[in-house]
Amino acid sequence: MIEINNVEKRFGSAEVLKRINLKVEPGEVVTILGSSGSGKSTLIRCINGLEALSGGAIRVDGHDVSTSAGLAAARRRSATVFQLFNLYPHMTVLQNVTLAPIQVLGQPRAEAEAQARALIDLVGLTEHADAYPQRLSGGQRQRVGICRALAMQPRYLLLDEVTSALDPEMTGEVLAILARLAAEGTTMVFVTHEIEFARRISDRIVFLEAGELIVDMPTEAFFSEEGGLAVPRIRKFLSKMTKD
Amino acid sequence: MRYADFTPYDLVLLAQGLGVTLGLFAATTLIGLALGAALTVLHYYRVPVIGHVVVAVTELLKNSPVLVQLFLVFFGMPAFFQVNMTPVTAALLTVSLNTAAFAFVIFRSGVEAVERDQIEAARVFGHSRWQILRRIISPQAAAFSVGPLIGLLVNQLQVTSLISVIGVADLTKIGNILNLRTLEPFVVWSVIGLTYYLCAKALAALGGRLERHLRRSVVWQGL
Repeated sequence: MIEINNVEKRFGSAEVLKRINLKVEPGEVVTILGSSGSGKSTLIRCINGLEALSGGAIRVDGHDVSTSAGLAAARRRSATVFQLFNLYPHMTVLQNVTLAPIQVLGQPRAEAEAQARALIDLVGLTEHADAYPQRLSGGQRQRVGICRALAMQPRYLLLDEVTSALDPEMTGEVLAILARLAAEGTTMVFVTHEIEFARRISDRIVFLEAGELIVDMPTEAFFSEEGGLAVPRIRKFLSKMTKD
Repeated sequence: MRYADFTPYDLVLLAQGLGVTLGLFAATTLIGLALGAALTVLHYYRVPVIGHVVVAVTELLKNSPVLVQLFLVFFGMPAFFQVNMTPVTAALLTVSLNTAAFAFVIFRSGVEAVERDQIEAARVFGHSRWQILRRIISPQAAAFSVGPLIGLLVNQLQVTSLISVIGVADLTKIGNILNLRTLEPFVVWSVIGLTYYLCAKALAALGGRLERHLRRSVVWQGL
């Protein structure tokens, strides 16, 4: 379980996250919505330890991310997929996917490569296993990013606007894979602007507004007239986002 | 006899001088690059105090003439510290340190040119700082550095000619000897100059191949 308790994050005098409380249970898909600058990505970066908390605590299966031992344990349990892929450009697709399993988990190379090839097959990149990322399209790169995360056999998959840098066709490729993972019961924390997709795969929707968590509801309730749509800010957000 | 013609034996002399120049260049390059890399690692780990000392010393080495550094090491250090200093030791020490200072600057920019995003990804996946340096930063920094590094080494090859001043029998010193004997400065210095030129070209060609190998993952995508 990921437990986020009263988390605060300040950059100088700017309050980016204000007393956020959130729990993600194993098997859940929780989508975080909100406009740009609302703190969604910062929240993900607090969970995976890229940002130090200004207040509160985050525990991943009980491991406190603000201690170095806790963070190491938390990072073994979660894996992140990034908006701009953040692949290692000097390594082939296979090397990108096997690096952490070999170096961090200590898997034997043969085992790591077999597992990586299976994942690469799964996302339809079989013939690109030995290509360098620069030779791939954005959608293909993001599929590699997903493989790299899954190779760590994470309990929690953190997805930070993973389709924001992709055109609609490539977005489709990536979302298809995420939908399959969600159906298989992968736990996900999903920061996105893809409202319709989020509606299909999420168990719960969380809405951030200027660093505050203003709504945390089951997906169905969030999109109902008496639930999320009854909140003016959310109604406005949804009508804007679904218009284009 | 005030002067003499060239003899076939002069070619042997020339080869010996070239050997000394190349040997000294190879040794100072190895030491200099290793030291420069070690300093870059210290800098990467932000070791307190040492980081500042490294930067200060390299600044001194970069911004003063090599000839002056050579005189300081060869004449100054024995006088001040009461140590023995042969010309070869002084030459090795001076040129190695000088190469290290410039290599440090080149490697450091190479490290800084690696995108932060990838390093964040590696941290999130649980890699240690050393693994990140070894697996993510170094290969890319090496590819970024090799171009400027070849430029540096071509220059350092010419710089080795300064050591003839303190009596090391390198290619330039041999030129001096032949010139005094034959009184044919135009021929002698043309041959010596051409020899340096060919060595530098060979070095640059070798470096170009290494650079293409290191940058094989980069596709030229046009403008």
